[in-house]
Amino acid sequence: MTDRSDDQPNGPDLLDGRFSRGGLLKGAAALGIGMSPLLAAACGGGASASSPVSTSAGAPKRGGQLKLGFVSGGTAETVDPFIGVTPIDEGRIQNLYDPLVIVNPDLTTSPGLALEWNPNSDGTVYEVKLRDGVVFHNGKSFGADDVIYSIQQMAKPANFGSYPFVSGIDVANMKAINKHLVRIPLKTPDGDLAANFTYYNTWIVPARQTDYKSPIGTGPFAFESFTPGQQSVFKRNPNYWVDGKPYVDSLKITSITDPTARLNALVAGQIDGLAQLPFQEAKAHQASGDINVLVAPSPQAMMFYMDTQKAPFSDNRVRQAFRLIADRPALIESAISGFGTVGNDTVGKGLPYYDESLPQRVQDIDKAKSLLKAAGQENLTVEFQTSEIFPGFVESATLFAQQAKAAGVTVKLKQEPANSYYNPSLLYLKMAFAETQWPMLSLKYFYLQALSSNAPYNETHFKSAAFSDALAKAIGALDKTQAQNYWNQVQQIQYDTGGYLQWVNADWVDAVSKNVQGLKPHAAGALGNYLFMNAWLT
Amino acid sequence: MTAAAEPRVVRRETSPVLAFLGRRLLGGLVALFVASILIFAALNVLPGDPASVILGRNATPQAEAVLTKRMQLDRPAAARYADWLGGFLHGDLGLSAVSLAQGQHETVWHQISGPLKNSAILAAIAALFMIPLSIGLGVIGPIYSGKAVDHAISILSLGAIALPEFVTGSLLIGVFFVGLDWLPPVAIVPPGANPLDNPSELVLPVLTLLFASLAAGVRMVRAGMTEVLQTEYVQTARLNGVAERRVLWRYALRNALAPSVQVLAQNLQWLIGGIIITESVFAYPGIGTALVNAVQNRDVTVVQSVAMLIAVVYVLLNLLADLVVMLLVPKLREPA
Repeated sequence: MTDRSDDQPNGPDLLDGRFSRGGLLKGAAALGIGMSPLLAAACGGGASASSPVSTSAGAPKRGGQLKLGFVSGGTAETVDPFIGVTPIDEGRIQNLYDPLVIVNPDLTTSPGLALEWNPNSDGTVYEVKLRDGVVFHNGKSFGADDVIYSIQQMAKPANFGSYPFVSGIDVANMKAINKHLVRIPLKTPDGDLAANFTYYNTWIVPARQTDYKSPIGTGPFAFESFTPGQQSVFKRNPNYWVDGKPYVDSLKITSITDPTARLNALVAGQIDGLAQLPFQEAKAHQASGDINVLVAPSPQAMMFYMDTQKAPFSDNRVRQAFRLIADRPALIESAISGFGTVGNDTVGKGLPYYDESLPQRVQDIDKAKSLLKAAGQENLTVEFQTSEIFPGFVESATLFAQQAKAAGVTVKLKQEPANSYYNPSLLYLKMAFAETQWPMLSLKYFYLQALSSNAPYNETHFKSAAFSDALAKAIGALDKTQAQNYWNQVQQIQYDTGGYLQWVNADWVDAVSKNVQGLKPHAAGALGNYLFMNAWLT
Repeated sequence: MTAAAEPRVVRRETSPVLAFLGRRLLGGLVALFVASILIFAALNVLPGDPASVILGRNATPQAEAVLTKRMQLDRPAAARYADWLGGFLHGDLGLSAVSLAQGQHETVWHQISGPLKNSAILAAIAALFMIPLSIGLGVIGPIYSGKAVDHAISILSLGAIALPEFVTGSLLIGVFFVGLDWLPPVAIVPPGANPLDNPSELVLPVLTLLFASLAAGVRMVRAGMTEVLQTEYVQTARLNGVAERRVLWRYALRNALAPSVQVLAQNLQWLIGGIIITESVFAYPGIGTALVNAVQNRDVTVVQSVAMLIAVVYVLLNLLADLVVMLLVPKLREPA
């Protein structure tokens, strides 16, 4: 058991008047000293107000090299879209290749390489019309063969990143009707197949590409060099199908594991931008203004989860009581420095089919107590397994344990090693009460993987015939109103009886130096969703 | 009896230096063999099937079966160990487990040769400064025993011993980047490039390594020198009117150095350990960073090869130190 708040040096003691505030904050960051939320607040950082970033500095300028630092994925880093796992993979893949469907900053979608998705009457066969005039980096023109080949690759079970998105497709019977029209038959009805093709694990490679040592794509940047765990250099694709973009001549992405080293490199000008700025550093630099902090509100879910098959959580009254114990605003404020909005236990706020009508759950200790009493679980003691694998996990668990005391519940924290927390042969999917994090691109993406009857990551071990039925109908419905009705049923069941306690929709928090323009906060991913074609240097 | 009566046999007795080195070499080989068993066992035999450990959250039964086959984990551990050690002896470190999980065939050597070179350069520069500085500062202290110089060296080296590399590194960044803005805080060496192309980036990592490893050497040389200066033969030499400079360099230093060589060798080994932390602080792409990444990725084949290589370097440094001591101390060169 650890109390993380004790690990923070006492910020205000550092203020002895000999340093300017900016210098002090820069120094604190460079020395890797986390600031207490108190000091950050005293320095005038707003709660989760996003700072004015990358405001227009005239017309975009061509030229230069954009240098970025990401958390290292080590030698496992890859430019193969179907097996990419970490943000640095995502950053590279999204610049070498293109998606069939583009996600906009507000999470609506636009046509990418696919222009139209036309289903038959029961949503079991789609005809997909493709964009004309797109060429790969080697000059070959893009067409139906490439889409069919890419989906075949995605459907290989070993390609764990892409497989869930295409598991409903009858891969063997896809057909190119002509160069720019593909016929995609499905095994189960799907009302919105396009939504499966936004995530970077489903982006398009040329037919017969097997070698990812020097890959080809249609993306804004073309491959030049790549050493996993160290660095990649991509050069501008002069034939990119979006007019005038990209603006910079080349893109250099460097792996820098240590968060302090990453921030130092940015402050020193050795890189122009970085992904995953620690929350407290973000507060400090918003206040000092020496770099631009990019804050993108997003439905990225951070949650506690309870195994609905294991006592005491097999009793829904206990699960509901726990959901009422949580003081969500306090959790957000202290665990992740306020970078997020309150969660309501049904994921995907802001995404299509999210049910906005469900009342926001707030702390209600009296009701929690009476539920626990009814369940015969007064003076309950539970173990809460947490880990440092994501920033904010241990902090939020610690605070929840304190909040639970008010309801007479003793929460014993157990800190687990990061590398076994998500390992199914060790701890993952075996813990009764633990924490998790999910990026969120569509409701379908999450529910298929976490809550469907054959979900690979069924953390809450939720089983209900009525729920599975409603979920299948929600996915299969072609009519949007009908689909919304089914999705509301799905979410109502989770809201009333589920095992997830989603306390926050967490922001993406990144930083760029003052000379980088054009990168705008984007709900779908870090650093403006890695759309580096939009960036230019002043 | 004439000389001819006695057959002129060439004495085939091995030279004591070679015999000594032979014994040490044998000992080193035994140590390495034991280390190899421990390293392999720790990564392969302990609980947690390597395939599922590598795949982590993505360990679907299909993916696990594929990787088990690719890594030949279905074969007995002893056979896999023999393959690995045999390959290692032939300079074949095998394939990276993570690349196998990704369906690639990347060799471990290809992954670590670049970082290994970078680390060797960093360590060599640090050692280049460390050895003469340890000796120089260690000798100066006793000469000015009790004076300000001696105290300053003692206090500084005590302080330096107490600070771990990540603190020293952060302090140096605080002074030379945040405060003075003279030196870059991060050493980004592009893959394939020579770290020496951008020497300013190497200054802080080298200083960090020097701080941590220099102090112990200085204190050891100082202790040896102090002791020797109090011996009778030095006193006698002084009383006989031998010039002080000659007393120090010819009589005292040479005898003080012998025990110090072992310490310097230990310091070099310490430096190798320090490199792992220092590289992380400065994001320097060396073998330490590669090892940390491999551990985080659970790339067992890379981890076991890097661990083994580090063990080999340790043993080699010890051998080298023994050799140098032999050359310094004539007594050891004579037959027993």
